[in-house]
Amino acid sequence: MSTAVLNHDQPAGHASAPPATAKFGMIMFLASEAMLFAGLIGGYIVLRLSMPQWPLPLEDGRVVHLPWLLTGINTVFLVTSSFTLHFAEVQVKKGKSGLPLIFVTILLGSLFVGIQCYEWWHLHHEGLWFNSGGVYGSSFFLMTGFHGVHVLVGVLLILWCFLRQVFTRCFTPAHHVALENISLYWHFVDVVWLFLFAIVYLWH
Amino acid sequence: MSAITAEPPASTGQAHHPEVGFFHKYIWTYDHKMIGIQYLWTALFFLLVGGGLALLVRYQLAWPNTPVPLIGQFLPATVASDGAIIPGGYNMLVTMHATLMVFFVVMPLLIGTFGNFLIPLQIGAGDMAFPLLNELSYWLYVVSGFLILAAFFAPGGAPGTGWTAYAPLSAEAKYNGTQMGQSLWGIAIFVNGLSSIAGATNYITTVVNMRAPGMTMFRMPLTVWSLFITAILLVLAVPVLSAAAAMLFCDLNMGTSFFKPAGGGQPLLWQHLFWFFGHPEVYILILPAMGLVSEIIAVFARKPIFGYKAMVYAMIAIGFLGFIVWGHHMFVSGMNLTLSATFSVSTMFIAVPSAIKTFNWMGTVWRGSIEFTTAMCFALAFVTMFVIGGLSGIFMASTPVDLFVHHTYFIVAHFHYVIFGGSILAIFGALYFWFPKMFGCMLNETLGKVHFFLTFIFFNLAFFPMHNLGLGGMMRRIADPTVYEHLRQLQPLNQISTIGAMGLGFTTFIFLGNIIITLWNRKSHPAPDNPWHANTLEWTVPSPPGHGNFPVTPTVYHGPYEYSVPGLDKDYLPQTEPAPAHVKLEAH
Repeated sequence: MSTAVLNHDQPAGHASAPPATAKFGMIMFLASEAMLFAGLIGGYIVLRLSMPQWPLPLEDGRVVHLPWLLTGINTVFLVTSSFTLHFAEVQVKKGKSGLPLIFVTILLGSLFVGIQCYEWWHLHHEGLWFNSGGVYGSSFFLMTGFHGVHVLVGVLLILWCFLRQVFTRCFTPAHHVALENISLYWHFVDVVWLFLFAIVYLWH
Repeated sequence: MSAITAEPPASTGQAHHPEVGFFHKYIWTYDHKMIGIQYLWTALFFLLVGGGLALLVRYQLAWPNTPVPLIGQFLPATVASDGAIIPGGYNMLVTMHATLMVFFVVMPLLIGTFGNFLIPLQIGAGDMAFPLLNELSYWLYVVSGFLILAAFFAPGGAPGTGWTAYAPLSAEAKYNGTQMGQSLWGIAIFVNGLSSIAGATNYITTVVNMRAPGMTMFRMPLTVWSLFITAILLVLAVPVLSAAAAMLFCDLNMGTSFFKPAGGGQPLLWQHLFWFFGHPEVYILILPAMGLVSEIIAVFARKPIFGYKAMVYAMIAIGFLGFIVWGHHMFVSGMNLTLSATFSVSTMFIAVPSAIKTFNWMGTVWRGSIEFTTAMCFALAFVTMFVIGGLSGIFMASTPVDLFVHHTYFIVAHFHYVIFGGSILAIFGALYFWFPKMFGCMLNETLGKVHFFLTFIFFNLAFFPMHNLGLGGMMRRIADPTVYEHLRQLQPLNQISTIGAMGLGFTTFIFLGNIIITLWNRKSHPAPDNPWHANTLEWTVPSPPGHGNFPVTPTVYHGPYEYSVPGLDKDYLPQTEPAPAHVKLEAH
């Protein structure tokens, strides 16, 4: 309690919240994000369970299958990036810069986004898109789209951390709030992906 | 008064911020009090817009297809022709009235205004946990407001699908006739949701992490408790609506088929997602009002709130139950009967915590020395009107009754008794109560009483006949009741209701006039620090409080409702004052 009571001795409005408070705020925000994905995933499950066959055929009768193997490899990249970011944080806590591991995280995150883009392009080429394949296309592209935007935002945030660390070395063992919270966000996006991968790609 | 309040903080507060200019004081501010006031003015603007739409709706129902006096010829072609409202335009008016009132008036007033203003002050914090996020939340609300108003100017006009935007009507441009209007509605709801989530995240974090020393959870005023629980509901319920709004937007613009049966989609999915949000939303709209009213009633009954902990647990129970009852909005949507019975029972359970709250308010005023200030009048009116709205709610909880009254004006009467008779009356009362703290001057009590009595009379005149209309068979969302044989005899009731609504519109200007006159002569009615002799922390600092709120971090010694404690020489005991040794406090 009372970890952060501003008073007239501190210039209110310019003070940033203390680390524990910031982290708590991030967890609340992620709870909200979890409900966003719960809404999307719940809708998907309802739609899918009422279908006699899945995947739904396209309008011309062809069935487009999702490239689960490629995406499986992509999933490994994303999960690895969670570990690299975590260990970057550990390095920062030990007083090191953590820069190499943060950089690897950015690479893996970008790789994930790139492969997802390729997959979207590939599926579009095959004829599956937002407006084809009925709810199969609709739900696939909306869910992976929402998640993809989250990954992209995460990569940009980690890039911001990286540049700050390169130029200012602002993350110290005692104080690295931004890195800590962005890392929480990144793990969250990763966990959401595991759910999405399981129900979208692996559920037959 | 304790030593803490003795020194005016204005000098110390300003000393750190001599350079704050107009822009950083009023437009882009990090001060939670100013953000609350920003929300207040913006929401009052939307109250006028939403109220104006309601008057047009009522005019059409009372005197269908006759030109609207004065403003008829200024209405756009999508709404009226030759000054008379057309059926499609009627649908747009109903939709926009409801959307504006729910998302742009009541939520911003309760949560934006009072949440921002009161939470840090009542828990003894200098500001919110994340001031930047707080201001961002306000401006997202403004952006969403522009988006929703822009829908009026979209080709095809504003959406006319009701605030519930049921699919497939909302999801197919060829049915609703206004692809852009409906899309703007979806985007506005999404952006408004971001604003709500940003605000709610901030409130929860602030309440959990920033309480002053001694301010335990069970020493928090019920206002803070109610806003805290509301914020949790917002964080968990709003994103589901955002997901649904995104699906709706894609259905309209990207050719997806989430809610279109042709592509395997389900219109019912929209209803489930919408009401999964929609029912917690009902409690989002009423819980803060309950908190505000609890505070006002305890202060003006000069008694401790009856059953403080029971009040808290009742609110938690309402918040929890709110998530498992959404199906009761869908009894007529072709639901499995076992499921319908389940939702029926879970809904009736809500009557239990609601009754606990009502009886506790009665227990609080019972044998109190009641001061009938305007704020207290509104608070007492809240309790009575909420009981009427709550009881009609139990009618609908029961599936067999609901099958009969669903989609009738009985429902309209019910939710206006809850949202106007409940939330709006509480907002009025709370504005009279906290206005001195917000602006440093007292609202005129005589005008306040006139405002109260006219509001109370016209409100009942406007909405009580709707019960009879609904039970007489008048359907919701019909532009012209006179085309139905069985409704013609009820037309006088529609006209009475419209006269009441017009009276309400007129009365609102008395209220606004009171605000304007008071602010104009603000020097002549300066508010003391603690005009109502209340206990909570915001009354220990000057009105209005300086930047950073508290000159010295306050220490809290007991709960907020120690009124008329035997053995004290005054009938209140601020939370910052320890009780003298010979005085025994009731609890905590």
